[in-house]
Amino acid sequence: MLDRRAGVPWLFVAPLVLVMVVGFVWPLLQVLVNSLHPNTPQGIDAAHWTLGNYARLADPFYGEVLVRTLRISVIVTAITGVLAYPVALFVSRLPPRAQSLFLLAYISPWLINTVVKALGWTLLLRTNGVVNTLLRGLDVIASPLKLLISETGVIIALVPGHFMFVLLPLWVALSGLDPALSWAAGTLGARPSAVFWRVLLPMTLPPFVAGLVINFIMNMTAFAIPMLLGGARNMVASMLAYQVNLVSLDWPLGGALAVALVAFTLTVVWAGQRGAVLLVSGRGARA
Amino acid sequence: MSLELVDVAKTFGTVHAVDGVSLSVASGEFFTLLGPSGCGKTTLLRLIAGIHPVTAGRVMLNGRDITHSPMHTRNLAMVFQNYALFPHLNVFDNVAFGLRSRRVARDEIRTRVREALALVKLEALAERLPAQLSGGQQQRVAVARALVVRPDLLLFDEPLSNLDARLRDEMRFEIRDLQRRIGITTVLVTHDIEEAFTMSDRMAVMQGGKIMQIGRASEIYRSPANRFVANFVGPINELALSDIETVGGRRRARAAAQLVVWLPNAEEGFGRNAQSLLLRPESLRVSAGKIETENRYAGEIEDVIYLGATSECRVKIGEVRLSAVMPSAAAAGLGPGERVSVGWNAQDGVLVDAG
Repeated sequence: MLDRRAGVPWLFVAPLVLVMVVGFVWPLLQVLVNSLHPNTPQGIDAAHWTLGNYARLADPFYGEVLVRTLRISVIVTAITGVLAYPVALFVSRLPPRAQSLFLLAYISPWLINTVVKALGWTLLLRTNGVVNTLLRGLDVIASPLKLLISETGVIIALVPGHFMFVLLPLWVALSGLDPALSWAAGTLGARPSAVFWRVLLPMTLPPFVAGLVINFIMNMTAFAIPMLLGGARNMVASMLAYQVNLVSLDWPLGGALAVALVAFTLTVVWAGQRGAVLLVSGRGARA
Repeated sequence: MSLELVDVAKTFGTVHAVDGVSLSVASGEFFTLLGPSGCGKTTLLRLIAGIHPVTAGRVMLNGRDITHSPMHTRNLAMVFQNYALFPHLNVFDNVAFGLRSRRVARDEIRTRVREALALVKLEALAERLPAQLSGGQQQRVAVARALVVRPDLLLFDEPLSNLDARLRDEMRFEIRDLQRRIGITTVLVTHDIEEAFTMSDRMAVMQGGKIMQIGRASEIYRSPANRFVANFVGPINELALSDIETVGGRRRARAAAQLVVWLPNAEEGFGRNAQSLLLRPESLRVSAGKIETENRYAGEIEDVIYLGATSECRVKIGEVRLSAVMPSAAAAGLGPGERVSVGWNAQDGVLVDAG
């Protein structure tokens, strides 16, 4: 009787496990296997095994693409983290109706097709676009900034695009926080900045980091915006993967690239999480 | 460290949560804000703490005007209803929080936290997280966390309402005892009359954002300022009065349109316009034999309810129904339908105006 009941939870998760295995794990393994075969003009040579595809990644060109992807993603995630926290704090203290309106405003970029968004940004960021015209009109700059076909443009467009992935979990966490905790800290002599570092941030760290991780992964895998706003000269990993897999049709190299990207992303995510925990516990003890 | 409030008011939108409150709490005094939920007592406490800004009025702590001081500069400490312990910090770090805010040296922090934990008998649990403590232990940590900073003023917001009945009784005396030993000026908010009576030196009874009466427990119980206070601090019998007259220097009136009753002698003018006579159940005498009170009537027992040490007797005098409480031994021989004498001394009655 007991044993049969113990099986019930597994029954509930079984459909999802099946979908994940068939639709995700199996193709991923296939990619891994492909990456270990040599590529020939006739296609994948399944009879032979090699690490040659990984050796090809040592080419400085691929390294440059990976570093650029990482740089853009880290900058976007950092900007988003710094901007999202005050917004989440502000929104969580509004009346419920205002909260929904604000959240909707921050979610709305996600509701628009990425390609359409990228074209919109083109209008804003090009040499004679709204931003440059405005800045020159206000005499902030003398000559137009190169915002299109540059990393700057990609970063500017990615921040609002993936903002909600940090904002939403933070907002949920902050809304659920007992206001008496801040009051207790305040009456005990903590200034508002200390309340943030010693109470709010440590207590909301898990959802905050979760949001940053999702945001970072979204940035690492973004395709349309880097493609349309960064151009081929600012190639990122997703564009490279597209080119190798779908233009060159070199699946073994594509596989090696994919495996490297997954390993790379997971490493950065792990290091980031460790770092965030250490940062807060260090600040908390000192503050 | 004395606390003084002058015409303090707080408005949320169109709601007057606190409506012109003035009071002063002496140094070392245990003062209670007592009232039903929604009377504004918790809001008033938060105004004192600086959690909400006041809409009008002044808050003075030891002669210093702190009306507009941010809460972290007020040097007071508050124990919250749900304790508000920091869940990510262990007991030691929770208690040390206020000392670290004040940049106290590391060694002194260790000594003072140990002392504070010893005071609430929790030395052994310094490494535990709040989630690993019982309600009573969390309460003690909250008290230690507040006391360790040596605040000028200690605030309690319904600190005992989340504890079970037995622990609540125990903590009442423990907190009261601690407060006396340290001699710290304290303001407590509660809706529990017994809590207010057992713990405080003086109390303010609040309703609708206003103070109805300030006084010692005995004053509030025996001479309530109005019908609300009388009702709030204990069960009462109420008789509507008419035809008040003075006979041979004593005053009498018609009560509930049926009984002629002698009224309590009062200072000049007091109770001249009184419209009701209030009687505490324990000031009524009920007996099968003769009684010697100034007001006495023939009545009949409707019901006797055994309450342990005391019993409640419901009696009827004509059509007037009264409730009397007496030691159970005195009620032993009484039963429904029995003819009895019912009475009270004129001085035990309380006169109140309408409203």
